[in-house]
Amino acid sequence: MSSSDSSALLSATFHEEGYEHLVELVHQRDADARRRLRSLDLALYDADGKLLVSIPVDPGQEILDLGALVAAHAPGAGRIMAAFEARYDERVFPYRPHHYAYLHRRGSSLPSLYYAVNAVLGGVPDRIGATGLNNFETYLFRPRGASERHSVLIGNLSRFAPGEAQISTYYAGARRTNEVTLGPKAHVEVALDPEHAGARLERVEIKAVFRLASYVVGRRTPSGELVIFDHLFTYFK
Amino acid sequence: MGRQGPEMDTLLLCYCTNLTVGELRGACRAGRWPLPDKERSGKLCTGCMGDLLHCLRLFSEEARKPAR
Repeated sequence: MSSSDSSALLSATFHEEGYEHLVELVHQRDADARRRLRSLDLALYDADGKLLVSIPVDPGQEILDLGALVAAHAPGAGRIMAAFEARYDERVFPYRPHHYAYLHRRGSSLPSLYYAVNAVLGGVPDRIGATGLNNFETYLFRPRGASERHSVLIGNLSRFAPGEAQISTYYAGARRTNEVTLGPKAHVEVALDPEHAGARLERVEIKAVFRLASYVVGRRTPSGELVIFDHLFTYFK
Repeated sequence: MGRQGPEMDTLLLCYCTNLTVGELRGACRAGRWPLPDKERSGKLCTGCMGDLLHCLRLFSEEARKPAR
């Protein structure tokens, strides 16, 4: 494989027990052929960043059952960060491939969630001409009932360097800030206060020196069932 | 953070420019960083920026040490 036609992408998501969690490895298809990654490896990490297992995945597989893999290889490990290490041919994917996922709590009557898996490292070669600032992200909350709590899930996919993130929440003009530092492959869920000084949570912003895996999460109270699992939005230069 | 020895030289450091740890180490040794076509390493998806700065510091220090 020459380096000229080989591209790399490292994407990540989080999994917790009790959920059916299916990941569509390649979303893009066309009328003539199914597009395949060149290779794919899945690695699972606990909250401290400890590697629990690394599994080669057949890139011809279309749907990966992440819930079943975690149950088989890392039972009882709590929240897991799953990293998808992909290699692809830029002639097959002239843009970066995406993984999309389906998430549903087993036995729940709440709707299923669909989301795009965070692309953290790679997939932004010069040829794409991306202009987003992907280490500064924001998310606006719609007014919702008190039966839902929000948080952000953040993971550091670096190999050597700690990652620092500033998490700011906005309430009718008031701003509150938390900072977290994560070692390589460590991850955390940061709860967001639903109200401050009588004003509701309107927006969250994550700033980091470099791109981290990040999701906004909404949980139904008191069950904790996921009702939002979404990526934040980037600012444009 | 441990030291990044030669056993890590094949590790992909920047996923956007395909820069490896070994290429960065070699460029620092030769005083040739940034390499042609690798100038935007760390600046595109930014995901490797922390690792890139970490390795740059380490390899620059190694390059400054007198050869034994």
